[in-house]
Amino acid sequence: MDRDRRRDRRSWDWDSPQCRAQLDEVFFRRHDYIQAGSQEHRDFWSFFDRFQRFKTKREMAGGRQEDGGGQGKTVKVDLGLPKEYDARYRINVSVCTRDVEERLGKSEHRSRQSSSGPGEQEISDLRLALLHFLDFTQRQSFGKLAKLRREQKNLPIYQYRDRIVELVRSHPVVVVAGDTGCGKSTQVPQYLLSAGFTHIACTQPRRIACISLAKRVSFESLNQYGSKVGYQIRFEGTRTPATKLLFLTEGLLLRQIQQDLTLSQHQVLIVDEVHERHLHCDFLLGVLRTLVAERPDLRLILMSATINIKLFSDYFSSAPVLQVPGRLFPIQVIYQPIPSEEQPTRTEKLDPRPFLRILQGIDQRYPPEERGDLLLFLSGVAEISTIQEACQVYATHTSRWIVLPLHSTLSLAQQDKVFDISPPGVRKCIISTNIAETSVTIDGVRFVADSGKVKEMSFDPKAKMQRLQEFWISRASSEQRKGRAGRTGPGVCYRLYAESDYDAFAPYPVPEIHRVALDSLILQMKSMSLGDPLSFVFIDPPPAASIQTAVTYLKEQGALDGTGELTSIGKLLAQLPVDVVIGKMLVLGSLFNLVEPVLTVAAALSVQSPFLRSSQHNPDCATARQPLHSNQGDPFTLLSTFNAWVEVKKERGGGSRKWCRRRGLEEQRLYEMVNLRRQFKELLRSHGLLESENRDASAGDRGQRRERLTERRKLHQMKRDHEKQENSKRKVLRLEEGQDGEMSSGSDTEERGRGKKDKEGPGQNVDIQEVKFKLRHNITELQDAVTVSADMSSRQQALLKLLLCRGLYPQLALPDEHNSTRKDSEQVFHTKNKQGVVIHPTSVFAIDPEVLHVPEDDSREGPDRGDSSRHQLLAFVTLLETNRPYLSNCVRVPALQALLLVANSVDSNADCTRLVVDGWLEVELRDAEEALKVLSTVLTHRAEWERLLRVKLEQNTVEGALGQGVSRRVLEKLSEGLVRFLLYTEVTYSLRRLAAFQIQNLYVGPQPESELSRDLKPLFPGAEAKPHPIKGGLRVSSFFTYNCLADSRDLYSECLRTFWTCPNCDLYMPLTPLERMQHEASCRPAGEQQQQQEEEPEDKKPGPSSMSSLNRVYHCDVCDEDLTLTSTEILKHKRQHMYSTK
Amino acid sequence: MEHSSSETSEKTFTCQLCGLSSSYSYYGQKPPNTRAIVLLEECFVTKDPFNPDREKFLVLGSTCSLCSLCVCAGSDCSLFYTKRFCMQCVNKHLDQFPHQIQSELAKKKQSSKAAVS
Ligand SMILES: [Zn+2]
Ligand SMILES: [Zn+2]
Repeated sequence: MDRDRRRDRRSWDWDSPQCRAQLDEVFFRRHDYIQAGSQEHRDFWSFFDRFQRFKTKREMAGGRQEDGGGQGKTVKVDLGLPKEYDARYRINVSVCTRDVEERLGKSEHRSRQSSSGPGEQEISDLRLALLHFLDFTQRQSFGKLAKLRREQKNLPIYQYRDRIVELVRSHPVVVVAGDTGCGKSTQVPQYLLSAGFTHIACTQPRRIACISLAKRVSFESLNQYGSKVGYQIRFEGTRTPATKLLFLTEGLLLRQIQQDLTLSQHQVLIVDEVHERHLHCDFLLGVLRTLVAERPDLRLILMSATINIKLFSDYFSSAPVLQVPGRLFPIQVIYQPIPSEEQPTRTEKLDPRPFLRILQGIDQRYPPEERGDLLLFLSGVAEISTIQEACQVYATHTSRWIVLPLHSTLSLAQQDKVFDISPPGVRKCIISTNIAETSVTIDGVRFVADSGKVKEMSFDPKAKMQRLQEFWISRASSEQRKGRAGRTGPGVCYRLYAESDYDAFAPYPVPEIHRVALDSLILQMKSMSLGDPLSFVFIDPPPAASIQTAVTYLKEQGALDGTGELTSIGKLLAQLPVDVVIGKMLVLGSLFNLVEPVLTVAAALSVQSPFLRSSQHNPDCATARQPLHSNQGDPFTLLSTFNAWVEVKKERGGGSRKWCRRRGLEEQRLYEMVNLRRQFKELLRSHGLLESENRDASAGDRGQRRERLTERRKLHQMKRDHEKQENSKRKVLRLEEGQDGEMSSGSDTEERGRGKKDKEGPGQNVDIQEVKFKLRHNITELQDAVTVSADMSSRQQALLKLLLCRGLYPQLALPDEHNSTRKDSEQVFHTKNKQGVVIHPTSVFAIDPEVLHVPEDDSREGPDRGDSSRHQLLAFVTLLETNRPYLSNCVRVPALQALLLVANSVDSNADCTRLVVDGWLEVELRDAEEALKVLSTVLTHRAEWERLLRVKLEQNTVEGALGQGVSRRVLEKLSEGLVRFLLYTEVTYSLRRLAAFQIQNLYVGPQPESELSRDLKPLFPGAEAKPHPIKGGLRVSSFFTYNCLADSRDLYSECLRTFWTCPNCDLYMPLTPLERMQHEASCRPAGEQQQQQEEEPEDKKPGPSSMSSLNRVYHCDVCDEDLTLTSTEILKHKRQHMYSTK
Repeated sequence: MEHSSSETSEKTFTCQLCGLSSSYSYYGQKPPNTRAIVLLEECFVTKDPFNPDREKFLVLGSTCSLCSLCVCAGSDCSLFYTKRFCMQCVNKHLDQFPHQIQSELAKKKQSSKAAVS
């Protein structure tokens, strides 16, 4: 036996892959518990190596000794335990592979001499190892489970478990109030799940929380690899039909309600963090309040910090409140008010001395071996960089600190650093905005320094402007900040204000609904048929003026009609989860063949800018960015950046990361853009505004399809692998981290990039974003779409600008007339409601303001300075006041053309040489003839544009409408006309803002209705021209009022008549400007009329411009007869009487 | 698939010593899909929640061979040595266990005491 074994051993090598493979045949077959090639299989063999080493070591140390000891004892064999100890007896598993062994044994006998197969010894060695391995994995998993259960039990909320379930069972609404660390967000949903509730939805104010909670709760409820617990956010989700608990954002739940007012898909709703009082949350509560009354089966649980609980309970007719104590360690509060000589003044930078004293104090009082980081709260980014700079000097000097900034405009990689660990003896000093107050939780913080300040966005309805201002925080925020020091142990909170200041703070922060523009909210309310927003029962109603401003704005935007009801475009806009202006762009883009670029621009304007602020001053980045810039405007720069990025992704895949780094671009934003873009596309499709994609194009032959499938499978595997690794340990920071400061944050050079990769290790090399991107998007398709917008002609560009401008309207700004004599940095602009605004330094026009100036040679032409045919305006996305009012994301447009094509109100004098747009901009044209031509072109184009838009929007209401409602030919003609008008209108005019006194006496005012004006009415097909009740003059179309300006001459004065030949018909007669426009609006070239007739199929309702509608019933007083005539015919008819009476 | 399995697995195992509880899907010696593997005692078994492979099982616990107490597999509650013994029974009959186990338990007791004080 012994000899046998020795001989076998000679030919048996445990390290040989062949030998191992032979054993795999015995133990790890395709249907075995562990299969060759699986992760467990790999784990086993590495376990095996360790196990063998351990055995050898024990044998060498004289393992026999053990047995002897065991035998030495006298044993009462009461329990029937074996006399000799064997570790194997401690394993409750056995493995039988007799069938294979026997087979192997036979073949082994046959060819004994030459065999190198496993002998009995090897088999049993392996079996033993396998048993130990199985035991080891069992212990490992059980250990995790036990730890998990222990942690759950230790949470303060655990003892309220049954009480919570009981309350929810017996009450439609329950308020659970608990402070940080009590475990409510993770545990309450689980308690309900295990109590048998299903269809649970839990809202979160932040997307990131939805993901992390879903992950945590699915792990805790032992469903890590199932889909019982899922999340759903804007672009992604893990929801399946098996999902019983869903985490989602407040906004998304509102969208669900919008689609199904009864919200039948959910049975339990948990609204978390209600105390944060976000706009969506406040609104959601209002909607749910009604819903609870209508659905008695629905359970609603509000979860809040322990502040202002009564407010929520009272709002839901005294709902029961369950208060859970938090789990905070004691925190020492030290008030260290800033001495007056170090107080910041309005203009000066923040004085860093009070902050440095805190760092010094910590260094003096606490030995470096005692770990614990410092979290410093400041109000804004500028303040952070000032203090960071000073702290960094101190940190470099002492080598005891790593200084890290934290705010939302940092690159994600930079933000992520705050979670890394500092080396021993070194503390992190994290300088943060209020983002670390609730959104970001950092473990290991022991010290908090609170400046007591916050910058908050507010909305100024008068100037239609957002304002970012610094305020004292509330007592609630102050406590929240303090609490950050006591999450993992006792802590210290330094307050840089006096206790009396604290006492004077407001108890709670101002709810968002009192601070922001309510446009989207009102739009959503309208679409949910919630009645008058003013009478809606909010938990804390917003100011009525704020609602009124929003309603007015929505009317200006065309989303609401005069009576405050949703227009058809408004209905659509309410469905789109974007700003009204962005939504408008999308709708407009879908009408023309400009969908692809408009999708990109709309997406780009809806996410944070990919251009990192910090790399702006890096000359390398600036140079590399140069080719991406477009002096047409920021949306065009974003468009070309996106297009270039897609090209890079197509060619180099993951190499785009480096490409972005070189240009100081945050690639994450581009990923967001591509996702959002796709979502927009789907939205447009589902609303019938876009044809569904041709599937054949992406199909390919079978081989290609298979290839793609294999590729996808590989990608999915990579994604799973990555997710597994994600929980790996945090990195350790280098002491020099922070020293290179913010400047190089996003713009790492290649070398640094490589270094980083090494640090991450080989497993981390996968760019998960790239993997997700490939899974979600078809790059070839995307590239095709991008090519469309990359090769835009100047004509398409002009049209795109017009669409953006119409979307952004009324957000227009006029360059100050003296800009050309000012320095680049002092260019000033004016909006209707706010004078003296400037362009944000990140805008392309801040770098290149000259493109906005009126060309000099051009302006000399006219009799007046300031006359030109090339005035321009800026359409902008945001007006935000920080230290100055800034315009961001601007695009330049030709002033006269854009104004006339998009403005809601254009008023003229009698010969149309003086126009006032929206009551604030005055246009004076030099040539009356040209002025008339321009206006009548505008009237025609706008009428046609509106008509086509209406057809397009209505077409999607009738589902499955045959064909396109708008024929391509008609559309092309309109875009051709618009482009020609935009590019080739060479009219000289002046453009200025009206002064206040001019605005006061702008209009002639209501006039008694004259006989003649009654006669003029029937001349207009479609629109009714009637005297404007306020302005006076004649309202010719929805936007144009003729001859209402105060300087106007008599409307019917014969001297305004000039002889005119109609280019389309044979008409030749003296006409007033108005008559001429009326004629032009109805008279079409003979050929075109015929064409139109052919185009409109008989079965379709006649459009407003079809022939039949041109005929009107006209009662002629002279003939005393009803005549059916076209307006031209009426004109002729009347003229005939006029001449005859003369 | 997942739906049906989770519907049927609402039986709960609770350790009578430490109170650990978790739902189990199988009780016996031959959990499904374990092929050549056999358990040497009747166990409360669930799918291993920490393993992405849905065929991997996890033994939650079993009954004490002496007193029939339902105990979890944690080393504080039970011990397997050819049979399952709850910790109460182990301590009662400690002298019958091999000295390796005795010294191991003694060591553990000491260290847990040290941790408490
Ligand atoms: Zn137990
Ligand atoms: Zn027992």
